[in-house]
Amino acid sequence: MLAKQTQSRTLHWLGRQLFNRDDPAAFFDPLLERINPMWVQEYTPARVEQIIQETPDTKTLVLKPSRRWAGFRAGQHVNICVDVGGIRRNRTFSLSSSPILWQEQGRVTLTIKRLPGGRVTNWIHDALQTGTVIGMGEAFGDFLVPEPAQPVLFIAGGSGITPVLSQLETMAAIDYRAPVTLLYFVRTGDDVIAREKLQALSARYSALTLNIIATHETEEHRYLCDEDLDAIPGIKARQAFLCGPTGLMDLARNLLHQRGIADTDIHSTFFSVPQADLGNEALGGQVRFSGSKLDIGSEGDATLLDIAEAAGLSPRHGCRMGICHQCSCRKTAGTVVNRLTGQTSGPGEENIQICISVPKGPVSIDI
Amino acid sequence: MKQMTEAQLSELEQDLNAIRNEVIADLGERDAQYIRRMVRLHRMLEAGGRVMMPFGFIPPVFVAATATLGIAKILENMEIGHNVMHGQYDWMNDPSLHSQTYEWDTVCTGDSWRRTHNYEHHTYTNIIGKDRDYGYAVLRLSDDEPWRPRHSLQFINYILLSVFFQWGVGLHELETEKLQRREISLREKLPFLKEFARKGGRQAFKDYVFFPLVTFPVAPIVLAGNVGANLIRNLWSSTVIFCGHFTQDAETFSEEECEGESKGHWYLRQLTGSSNFTGGRWLHILSGHLSYQVEHHVFPDLPAHRYPEISGKVQAVCQKHGIHYNTGSFARQYGTVLKRVLRHSLPEHLGGSSATTA
Ligand code: FES
Repeated sequence: MLAKQTQSRTLHWLGRQLFNRDDPAAFFDPLLERINPMWVQEYTPARVEQIIQETPDTKTLVLKPSRRWAGFRAGQHVNICVDVGGIRRNRTFSLSSSPILWQEQGRVTLTIKRLPGGRVTNWIHDALQTGTVIGMGEAFGDFLVPEPAQPVLFIAGGSGITPVLSQLETMAAIDYRAPVTLLYFVRTGDDVIAREKLQALSARYSALTLNIIATHETEEHRYLCDEDLDAIPGIKARQAFLCGPTGLMDLARNLLHQRGIADTDIHSTFFSVPQADLGNEALGGQVRFSGSKLDIGSEGDATLLDIAEAAGLSPRHGCRMGICHQCSCRKTAGTVVNRLTGQTSGPGEENIQICISVPKGPVSIDI
Repeated sequence: MKQMTEAQLSELEQDLNAIRNEVIADLGERDAQYIRRMVRLHRMLEAGGRVMMPFGFIPPVFVAATATLGIAKILENMEIGHNVMHGQYDWMNDPSLHSQTYEWDTVCTGDSWRRTHNYEHHTYTNIIGKDRDYGYAVLRLSDDEPWRPRHSLQFINYILLSVFFQWGVGLHELETEKLQRREISLREKLPFLKEFARKGGRQAFKDYVFFPLVTFPVAPIVLAGNVGANLIRNLWSSTVIFCGHFTQDAETFSEEECEGESKGHWYLRQLTGSSNFTGGRWLHILSGHLSYQVEHHVFPDLPAHRYPEISGKVQAVCQKHGIHYNTGSFARQYGTVLKRVLRHSLPEHLGGSSATTA
């Protein structure tokens, strides 16, 4: 999934004959990984060159991906994979550096906040060392600044600032000719990510108006309000970019709508939400069968296999009791509970046995 | 089969679940490292064997190359492929170790194996008439199956099956016995035959065409070595597999006694229908830990290298419930397999004293 296919077709065909796999280039990975982890073919290897503590709970990783990585545009994100306790975990993060850094030095950065209970972010904060090689995929996402230049408004909350950092840096470098305003919401002054960088940017890039707002420093919490938006000149003509917690995004969208800004001019992007405390929440949820383009709601402890069959699908299965793994398939998002062990899965991409998996909240699977 | 009440069965179920849960809770780094080490070893053996083979005109090198490649295939089929396809490492979320996409170095396609072995054999273990692995529809291994004259020469069939084991396993899903009885038509089997031809062709191309051709001047030597390596693997895997269910004390079951069975009854059937053999660490690894067939059948999706660790606990559970735990030296167990094949080539009244339960 994370690999890039570059070999010629004949070589690829031959590889499949000889090694019995669709990604023959990765056949020798287990050996290569020992010799030089940067030679691994299955994903794009990226070496952690430096780890910078941004705030008490946020770190920036400076990565050097292998040269075959195809690059990115400001505002895009990547999947990374890391092995935590023997388990391969995939997560998506926004690239926080500018593509110019990649072009000039072959480096990219990810700015990652520690999420309460997050298996991967906690591991990154506590265990990841410089020099380690992690896996990376190609960049994706369409949270991209308009070209040619148009007036822009960014509304970011917390670690939602990361794709915006990449964009601002790029805009400053190419001298993007249009007014740019950033409203950046943080809990307290200590939580500002990349404060120096932002200040330096606003000093050298005159089109940028920077407004950092602390929400939790006053008795009464200070959220986005009408005055914030009314203070922005020519707001109606702006392209709005939102990235932050759902509460902030919903509020911003509402206020923008009230000002007559159309949905087509409002762009929002993926933001990693801390995994909610699901302990006492009811089972069931909206299930998306992405391969069949079907959305089905479910209640109670119906398994994904039952839900799929009730919806007229016939996923491959065998014993229906968790023994044979015939029913294993890829969950692309969402949380499920294992009926046999009672264990709750992580939110990321992984393989599950659908005959014993019960959705807990919205789930997407590849069927 | 040993008779147990539903209450006893559910206690058995709980006892075994406890063993399983303990392992599941402990899965992690150590298991990942183990299987990755095996995969690394396989890559080294495979590369080593292939590189040495063209120098096989020197007799000792020929022997070394053939043995290395044969062992590589054994390791890949038994300890890696078979176990990965059982989903033993699915929890690692590593796409190249995933049960549903893994494709192994043998004629049988992964998909066909997952259907016939993981599902049919492991769900209906040793139920005569439902578990098609019992005698592979070629051999008569239980008096529950009526004797036919063709069975009298079944020892020859057994030898042939062992020699061409990978082709036999590859064709297993064709269900020739049902074709003969006209229960199914060849047409229904066309998609399977197509897949079989594709994978079989791929395997034959690799070992019998491609590698001999790229080493053209020594093609016959490379061809002979590759045939030898496949033969070594065929004989070994067939032997290991026969020791797993066809030893003297391994029980068989009827469809009626298993209808609507509980998980506890399923456990009991797995415990009494399988047999282990003892040996050194490498014997276990090269058998894919099927030397712990009992543990494997009770917990088919636990990483196999854990079987030796939990074997003591499984034996204790067996003892507590008065269930026979079938084990013995490799030679002893294999001896009883050969006896079983021979004895059942004759009708019941001529086959000598019937073994305890078969
Ligand atoms: S159907 Fe057998 S494990 Fe799910």
